[in-house]
Amino acid sequence: MHTELAEFPFLSAILTSCLVGLLVIMVLPGHRTREIKWVSAGFSGVTLILSVYLFAAYDQDLGGFQFVERMAWIPRLGISYYNGADGFSLPMLLLTGIVFFTGVLTMWELEHRVKEFFALVFLLVTGVFGMFMALDLFFIFVWFDVSLFPMYLLIAVWGSTRKEYAAMKLTLYLLAGSALILPAIVYLVVQAGMGTFDLVALSAEGTLGPGVQKFAFLLLYIGFGILAGVWPFHTWSPVGHVAAPTAVSMIHAGVLMKIGAFGVLRVGMFLCPEGWQFWAPLMALLATVGIVYGAFVGLSQTDLKYCIGYSSVSHMGIVGLGLATMTADGINGAVFQMFAHGVMTALFFSSVGYIYDRTHTKIIAELGGLGRVMPVATTYFIIAALTGIGVPCLASFWAELLVFISSFKVYPVYGILAVSGLVVSALFMLRVVQRTCYGPKNEKFAHLTDVSFTLGIPRMILVSVIVLFGLFPSLMLDVIRTATIPFLHRLP
Amino acid sequence: MNWMIFSPEICCLVTALVFLFLAMAPTDARRDYIVAVALTGLAVCISLAGLYAAGELFHGTYRVDLFSQVFKSLLLMGLFLVVFISSGLSGIEHRYHPEYYMLLSICTLAMMMLVSAVHILTLYVALELSSYSLYILVFLRKGRDQGVASGMKFFLIGASASATMLLGLALLYGATNAAYFRVMVEVIPGVIHQPEVILGLALSLSGFLFKMAVFPFHFWAPDVYEGAAHQVAAYISTASKVAVIAVLLRMVALSGGESTHLVHFLAVLAIISMTVGNLTAIAQKDLKRLLAFSSIAHAGYVLVGILCISPEGNVSAMFYAVTVLLLKFTCFLVVIQTAFDGENIDIDRLAGLHRRSPIMALALMTALFGLAGIPPTIGFTGKLLIFVAAMEKGYFALVLIAMFNVVISLYYYLLVVRAAYLLDPPEGAGPLPAMPGAKILAGTLVAAIVILGIYPTPLLDLIQAAATALG
Repeated sequence: MHTELAEFPFLSAILTSCLVGLLVIMVLPGHRTREIKWVSAGFSGVTLILSVYLFAAYDQDLGGFQFVERMAWIPRLGISYYNGADGFSLPMLLLTGIVFFTGVLTMWELEHRVKEFFALVFLLVTGVFGMFMALDLFFIFVWFDVSLFPMYLLIAVWGSTRKEYAAMKLTLYLLAGSALILPAIVYLVVQAGMGTFDLVALSAEGTLGPGVQKFAFLLLYIGFGILAGVWPFHTWSPVGHVAAPTAVSMIHAGVLMKIGAFGVLRVGMFLCPEGWQFWAPLMALLATVGIVYGAFVGLSQTDLKYCIGYSSVSHMGIVGLGLATMTADGINGAVFQMFAHGVMTALFFSSVGYIYDRTHTKIIAELGGLGRVMPVATTYFIIAALTGIGVPCLASFWAELLVFISSFKVYPVYGILAVSGLVVSALFMLRVVQRTCYGPKNEKFAHLTDVSFTLGIPRMILVSVIVLFGLFPSLMLDVIRTATIPFLHRLP
Repeated sequence: MNWMIFSPEICCLVTALVFLFLAMAPTDARRDYIVAVALTGLAVCISLAGLYAAGELFHGTYRVDLFSQVFKSLLLMGLFLVVFISSGLSGIEHRYHPEYYMLLSICTLAMMMLVSAVHILTLYVALELSSYSLYILVFLRKGRDQGVASGMKFFLIGASASATMLLGLALLYGATNAAYFRVMVEVIPGVIHQPEVILGLALSLSGFLFKMAVFPFHFWAPDVYEGAAHQVAAYISTASKVAVIAVLLRMVALSGGESTHLVHFLAVLAIISMTVGNLTAIAQKDLKRLLAFSSIAHAGYVLVGILCISPEGNVSAMFYAVTVLLLKFTCFLVVIQTAFDGENIDIDRLAGLHRRSPIMALALMTALFGLAGIPPTIGFTGKLLIFVAAMEKGYFALVLIAMFNVVISLYYYLLVVRAAYLLDPPEGAGPLPAMPGAKILAGTLVAAIVILGIYPTPLLDLIQAAATALG
């Protein structure tokens, strides 16, 4: 096993800044909340800068895995600390950087157990970053689990609405997923008989037989799919979103669910292309059901956060459908959708979080007329809703377009159903916007203040990202393509 | 005879003798504690210094090799840790403190002999010596009724198990005409298909399965954990488990992996142990009972490694022994700190632990997540090693069942974490009265659990070398 290090280990630098941030927060006394918040903002800012740099510095002509770092870790089992970034992981790293930084800023007003909150968020995000950059199956699983378990405390301590129930349900569901992933990973490693957990080496053609691939893919798809909110394993997700505090909802729906979809892509599809091909019709079916189901159930919700939670199920279904098409456009669209949905949901939850913090209610019927009281806050909310609907010039438009075009080609029936689901989804989004933001001024909320400039910063960043990639989708698609094209060549 | 290779045992024997004499002197708990810490600390150092000692003693009935020395060091570390947290020792009357230390030392000595025994008689005598010391340790619990009831249960089931084991050993001896393991290991694979051999092996294993609290020999565990003083329960759940894993490895290796019946027998026991342990633990209110049921489940996981009967399986089981030692001990450290009065504690009594003692809450959480096998703790690495070993043997279903058990176990571990982190402390409950060095110990244990989880290579290399000595 050889050791290979990039000139400057940018990827490890991201992990290091998370871990150093975590340590600094742990060392600071709990009552120094101001310092803790500044430290959190500082270190999360560093990760944002690094992830933007990586995205920009990636050599598209060269393609493949870049910024590679590799070091023997547990040689006996063939485990190495092996990181790299390609067209699939770069959008995810950028997304994590953005959502992490804006999430920290959104929680600037937190007063309750500040130190523990930010420490846990840093731990969670370390896992997320690690998962997106790891190229060793052992580390992929380790980071996957590291990103899951802080969630229990984050929701159970700082959450609302049946928080303990939601936290327990979420943790058990997600760990049930990892109960499938770990045996699947070990199974693949043992079946390959190469004595290594190296994802790239294991993905070489002819390493794994078709039977092995079909079996392992199913386990991996269900295991990671639970986290991606695939119907019918999604039930933890709306409950979890509703209970989680604002920043956690942002990170959770914005980034954590993407880990699931990314896991299906990076581990399942990468290692088991034949398994992927075999199960793709099932993936498409479940994804379509998810899209339609999410939209219809969302339609009947009375709680704002539940609406967004179910819309997430619907939107993640689009990712699943894109991946199931096995076409370049479909995969590009799916990865783009993962990014766009992440930023959009973060904006959504940060807006709803602000509204909830001020009005102390998330029930749609009790709101109304907020546009007259908090014009700025509602503007952010409306932008998020429009992005969710897939309005042109906003990021998710391109993603959804690509997925639907390819699904019409491959699965016309599912494509039609999915689009009709999306129409329902648009309907309920507009209905939510209309009922919360418009209408006569609600005297109960007349005294409330609007989003201040400082609190607006994270939301402005998110809006800018949505608009930037909506206006210039090629910025994102060119990067994703570098990974999609060689990836599709591997299909039998 | 080279007595130097016997020095860890001698050191332990000397400790026991010192306390035999101290028992006759006027009681002084402080003095006893300091002497015990000093002597057991010394024993740990001596055992580490003699890690690479090798040789045979007593006409080849006692083998000293890296395998046995690694386990002896672990046992002595276990003893040292238990002694170290005995400064309060409120669960045992003052006048019995010297006896407590003496019995702990004798029990450890017996277990050290157990891991070195390569003759069925040495093995049996060592096992009995360790068992009787443990029975009496359980009886020592203050407020007699509880200790006596659980001690009696422990004694009666234990005596039956050891009688059964003796029958098994006799059958094996009868069938093979061999009493030395090195002879048995050559003969048994050839005759393993004879019913009396397979029966003999299964019966002789039952004594150790009892010690490890594997289903259906597990009934004593919850009552004994609950009835024994906290420190004694800590010892039973850590050091004694380590010794049993070592002996089970030796015993199961006797079959040479030739008997599918034996493997199936162990696989069934492993599955039932995991499932029964985890499902029953969910209903527990008493923290020590919960830990007992979790021990039963963990015995199942270890058995998965042992039944592989392969070098990888052996390494994984040995690694898991270290895992159990570290994680269970950390849990008991928190139990002892929280229940300073020596009384049993309900999970609810952990309420607000994060405010009363943040480091203990952190230690408890880390240890519980470790037991649940969540990375990056040593518990995860231990489970991964077991799963890889089992998968290499093609036991996919076993791994899957084990993984689902991990999810079940997470539920009750989370209930404990919930009490420590989410509930508010009761009115007027101040910071926990800290035992000297407890915070440093807790911090060290947390660091060890995480560091060995993230970077297990040095430990794995040592265990790998030790496992080679076994084969």
